[in-house]
Amino acid sequence: MPSPRFPIPQGTLDMLILQILSLEPAHGYGIAQRLEQISRSVVQVHQGSLYPALHRLQQKGWLRAEWKQSETGREAKFYSLTHAGRRQLAVEKNSWARLSGAVKLIFEEGSR
Amino acid sequence: MMQLLNWLRRGSLERGLDRELQYHLDRRVADLSASGIPEPEARRRVAAELGLALVREEVRDVWLTRWFRDFLYDLRFSARSFLRSPGFTAATLLSLALGIGATTAIYSLVDQVILHALPIRDPARLVLVDWNGDQVAGGFGSWNLMSYPMCRDLQQQTRFFDGVLCRAETDVNLAAGGDPKPVAAEIVSGSYFSVLGIGPALGRVIEEPDDAAPGAGPVVVLSNDFWQAEFGGVADIIGRKLLINQHPMTIVGVAPAAFHGVDVGAVPALWIPASMYAEALPGAEDLLRRPTIWMQILARLPPGLAAAQAQAGLQPWFKAWLRDNMLRPGFPIISGERRRDYLASTVELTPAPQGHSPLRRSLSQPLWLLFAATGVLLGLACLNVAGLFLARGSARGREIGTRLALGASRGRIGRQLIADSLLLALAGGVLGAAVAPLAIRALIAFLPHDLASSALSGTLSLRLLIFAFFTSLAAGLLSGLAPALHASDGSLVSSLRERAGTGFGGVRLRKCIVTLQVAFSLMLVIGAALFVRTLTGLLAKGPGFDTSSLVSFSLAPRKNGYSAVDSVRLIDRVHDAVRVLPVTRGSGIARNGLLTGGAWNGGITIQTDRRFTTDRLVNLNAVSPGFFATLNVRLLAGRDFDQRDSRPAGEPGRPCAIVNEAFVKRYLTGRDPLGVRVGLGSGPDVKPDIPIVGVVTDFNYRGLREESEQAFFPIFDNDDSGATFYVKIRGTPEQAFQAIRGLVRNSDPQLPILGLRTVEEQVTRSLNTERMLAALSGSFGALALLLSLIGLYGVMSFVVTRRTREIGIRLALGATGASAIRLVLRDAVAMIAVGIAIALPCVAALGKLVQSQLFGVTATDPATVASAALVLAAGALAAAFIPAWRASNVSPTDALRLE
Repeated sequence: MPSPRFPIPQGTLDMLILQILSLEPAHGYGIAQRLEQISRSVVQVHQGSLYPALHRLQQKGWLRAEWKQSETGREAKFYSLTHAGRRQLAVEKNSWARLSGAVKLIFEEGSR
Repeated sequence: MMQLLNWLRRGSLERGLDRELQYHLDRRVADLSASGIPEPEARRRVAAELGLALVREEVRDVWLTRWFRDFLYDLRFSARSFLRSPGFTAATLLSLALGIGATTAIYSLVDQVILHALPIRDPARLVLVDWNGDQVAGGFGSWNLMSYPMCRDLQQQTRFFDGVLCRAETDVNLAAGGDPKPVAAEIVSGSYFSVLGIGPALGRVIEEPDDAAPGAGPVVVLSNDFWQAEFGGVADIIGRKLLINQHPMTIVGVAPAAFHGVDVGAVPALWIPASMYAEALPGAEDLLRRPTIWMQILARLPPGLAAAQAQAGLQPWFKAWLRDNMLRPGFPIISGERRRDYLASTVELTPAPQGHSPLRRSLSQPLWLLFAATGVLLGLACLNVAGLFLARGSARGREIGTRLALGASRGRIGRQLIADSLLLALAGGVLGAAVAPLAIRALIAFLPHDLASSALSGTLSLRLLIFAFFTSLAAGLLSGLAPALHASDGSLVSSLRERAGTGFGGVRLRKCIVTLQVAFSLMLVIGAALFVRTLTGLLAKGPGFDTSSLVSFSLAPRKNGYSAVDSVRLIDRVHDAVRVLPVTRGSGIARNGLLTGGAWNGGITIQTDRRFTTDRLVNLNAVSPGFFATLNVRLLAGRDFDQRDSRPAGEPGRPCAIVNEAFVKRYLTGRDPLGVRVGLGSGPDVKPDIPIVGVVTDFNYRGLREESEQAFFPIFDNDDSGATFYVKIRGTPEQAFQAIRGLVRNSDPQLPILGLRTVEEQVTRSLNTERMLAALSGSFGALALLLSLIGLYGVMSFVVTRRTREIGIRLALGATGASAIRLVLRDAVAMIAVGIAIALPCVAALGKLVQSQLFGVTATDPATVASAALVLAAGALAAAFIPAWRASNVSPTDALRLE
């Protein structure tokens, strides 16, 4: 059965992670769930690609991580945004807006 | 950098990731179970959805890039496989360590003597100011000599210079409470420290006011080392008084520890302002006003001005200066021709970021030669390692074939081999760097003068470690490249099909390598033979006089406060006492010592039926009666000086001269030299009124290589600068030394005895550079020979192993053992012949570079080249014979059963 959801566009996963973490710190599983909810099951995020992305963002200095007690009482690795991460999110939001605006323009031009 | 950090803490990173993923799994399974899916099913789904193994790999890729990780795995794999074959590992490590250690050691000297810029402010802007042409001035010192007034005048040229300094080196007798002893000193202009940009470590440095007028600055600045060694580095040193040549001077400061003057070969213990020249250089007259040349001038260019521009800009001023200078006091009367030469002089600026150094002049060629030789040696070691790798590669043929078949890319295999050789080379480099300090100290022991202790250090600097690292890296790449390239071509199927131990031949490549090795080592062996012949030739020739049972020492009473007259009296008194010592068989004195590298020289005017001057400088000396007899120098004609010739300064006597055979041969052939009149100097004002009274056989004066015209005058003829004593002794030198020390102490307990040693030792000292070249090139040649013989033996054994079956069949079919030997040796002979054929033209081409270091033999001397080639060929054939002989003993049945 073909999935009605489409795979997440390349490069947008990082932005989504930054966006989710900009609201509050979360652990990997939490981020996965939130991605699932926010995208209303339209976008399919392969769970496996979440962790490499988290580590990559951490390596770049956009995220920091610490082990804290989670809602179930077990220790979990919580990620939160750094200053650099906040700045990066702003940059990505901006360029995304410009890109999608441009794409929309082109589509409207073509349909006229 | 981050990657390296991640690699170091990879354990904790892994554990963190495990915990994180485990949390995810457990939560997901719990959530799915809660929604009604049975737990085993939930676990299965979660595992599929997450793809644990893949996630781990991808996260690891974030930590360390794939390439880096693979390379680390390669290294680990290499290390393990090396530990499994210790013999191979030891052989390669040893050859690389030797090559890298030797190269690093020689480079250390090249760096310290030739390349290292002075530790001063902006050394790149420092230039040496030199005179190009006839200076028409007397002087003393080594090279690039200029006068003090010249320096003062250059200081006015502020358009071209940001400052000009002058300096000269000397020895002074220094007393700080105890007995005086000679120490090295640098006499410097007041601008010296400010132009170099050197501030004091303590107190102050020498400044302009110290050098304002003669006698203005009775002050000294100590070097940091001397302050530490002599005064224990006490802080209250400033203001203390010292006696320099018996004149009191005040210590005003201590120089920084890194600063050792501007001459790498002459490290001063202290600096004295030029205004104190009369105290520092007893007997010198009016050096600050006269055009006497005795100092080197260094200048700092202003930013943005190149040396060539400044040089061009200075010439008009210099032309005018030349004319003015002729009017100065002390300028000699000269002929018209000489005046033209003088007026055509130019001033020359050469960049001198390393300062000025006669040592660099004499050592740079030998050092570059040795550096090149170590480079070749290292190349040989790399070739050897490459050969060993190829051999190992053929043993690993099956393994590599299998890896290729399982999908490893050829690049990946090649990289593995590079990792192998890099690991080995770096380990070899570490070993080499560990032995390098020992090697450097051994090298320094070869060097001339007593420089070893003061000027050069045997420690590893950061620069040296960096050099060793890059050398190792280059060696690793070089030795790994051939095998890696080889591994990445060649047919996969055939290597799998071949039986273990015979696949992956690379025989042709290995033969090429061995041929190159033969060529390289022949070059080194020829070089070694040439240098050894030079040394033995010089030793066999000797200095031309009898050195057995001869000891020498010098006295310099003027440096201990003696007046000119008292100095002569003291030397006379000491000589009288030496003559009657029980150990003395004969004795004589000379103004200048022999075989020290220096000489007193000048032109001579000769009056026969016409008047003419010598066309080159004649070496001059003043000697006492009995000097020639003491040295066993034969008098060919005429007579020796006698007591009436040799008289103290100021007393009238008979002027007379003795010349050597070479002088007669060059200037007085076909006439009786006795009675010919000569004059000291070559100007028109010289009166040739000194009759030649004797002719002696030739002997060496400056050093063993130099053959020169010489003229001798009676000692004490206007002379007071001290004397070198030559004493023919009976008994051991130690007894004589003791007697001489006691005798001089009796005459003046404060007077230092300089250079008390046997003349044989002096000969040895004067041959330091030759000995260094012979010993080092000899050992490099031997090592090179050994390396290439091992290489040859290796490849021939391999060939024999590979052809065992073929040889067995031949033997079974009736071939004789001798024919089997011939079969194998034919290969070896071809390699040796090609190697020699490559080497000979190279030797001819490189010969010019070494010729100036040789004596009594040309660089392409056929006998030397032929015997070196013969030694190499004989050794190589012997190395090849062992496997050949093994081939002839192959038992046909065994060989066939090998299948």
